[in-house]
Amino acid sequence: MTDLNKELSDLELDAVFATVRGAEPDLGDDFMARLFADIDAQVPVAAPIVPSKPARIGLIASLFAALGGWAGLGGLTAATAAGLWIGISPPTALDSVSSVIWGDSLTLSVVAADDVLGLEG
Amino acid sequence: MDMAFDQYAGAPDGALLIAFANGDQTAARLLTVRLAPRALGQAMRMLSDRAESEDVVQEALLRLWKVAPDWRQGEAQVSTWLYRVVANLCTDRLRRRRRSVGLDEIAEPEDDVPSVSEQMVASARMQALTDALAALPDRQAQAVALRHLEGLGNPEIAEIMEISVEAVESLTARGKRALAAILAERKAELGFSDD
Repeated sequence: MTDLNKELSDLELDAVFATVRGAEPDLGDDFMARLFADIDAQVPVAAPIVPSKPARIGLIASLFAALGGWAGLGGLTAATAAGLWIGISPPTALDSVSSVIWGDSLTLSVVAADDVLGLEG
Repeated sequence: MDMAFDQYAGAPDGALLIAFANGDQTAARLLTVRLAPRALGQAMRMLSDRAESEDVVQEALLRLWKVAPDWRQGEAQVSTWLYRVVANLCTDRLRRRRRSVGLDEIAEPEDDVPSVSEQMVASARMQALTDALAALPDRQAQAVALRHLEGLGNPEIAEIMEISVEAVESLTARGKRALAAILAERKAELGFSDD
């Protein structure tokens, strides 16, 4: 008489496992197509390079750009300051240079020094 | 095999996954061709349901594509990772069945059929085993399935389940005993009629 309530022996359980074990199932074209579609949808893409929006350039910005931006403006400021300084307080070396170019200063007078009123004709 | 796959012949799974992370779809397709049949087999052996098994494999592979950008080659085997995810997704579904069906119902033996064909026995065994796995605690079901349905060794199962080999041995032993007890009620249906 079969004892239906007695638990399966190791042999019987192994037979159940063996029945279930088997060759890998065929994926089938439809299922494969679904899996490939997932890949196409998931493929990582590099972040697109978005060109920066061209800004509207005003008059001041145009001048600023024409001067060479901050670098150009810095150079211009330094040159202006140097020119102003030379004008206010010229170095001694520069005096002798101007003497060479313009010569010594000459004072001319059309009246005698002691006839300030010009009465003596 | 597809001509497009030739350039990857011999490339390890991890390298293919990294190639996919760099935008190469062909690498992922080859990985699918390599891994999906085994994953589908694993799911079907646990669930005995083709449609559900396909959903599990699709979900597992989707997760794989999502982790691809963070994958570190050499840290883990893609196949080990996939075994783990498929096993987890299957036990999730078995747990849902357990809740919706109830243990009494799934353990109910069918009428004793004296002469059933070999195919019917095979079908009955698959269904009975799936039902029985659903009745086990998740970790026991996973360990038993990986050991006795997938035929993996304990060290590999330990790696998949991220537990010790001793814990695997304990889970499989307890799981087997529980299965033997649960299936006892369906002996005749399973084709066992020892006198």
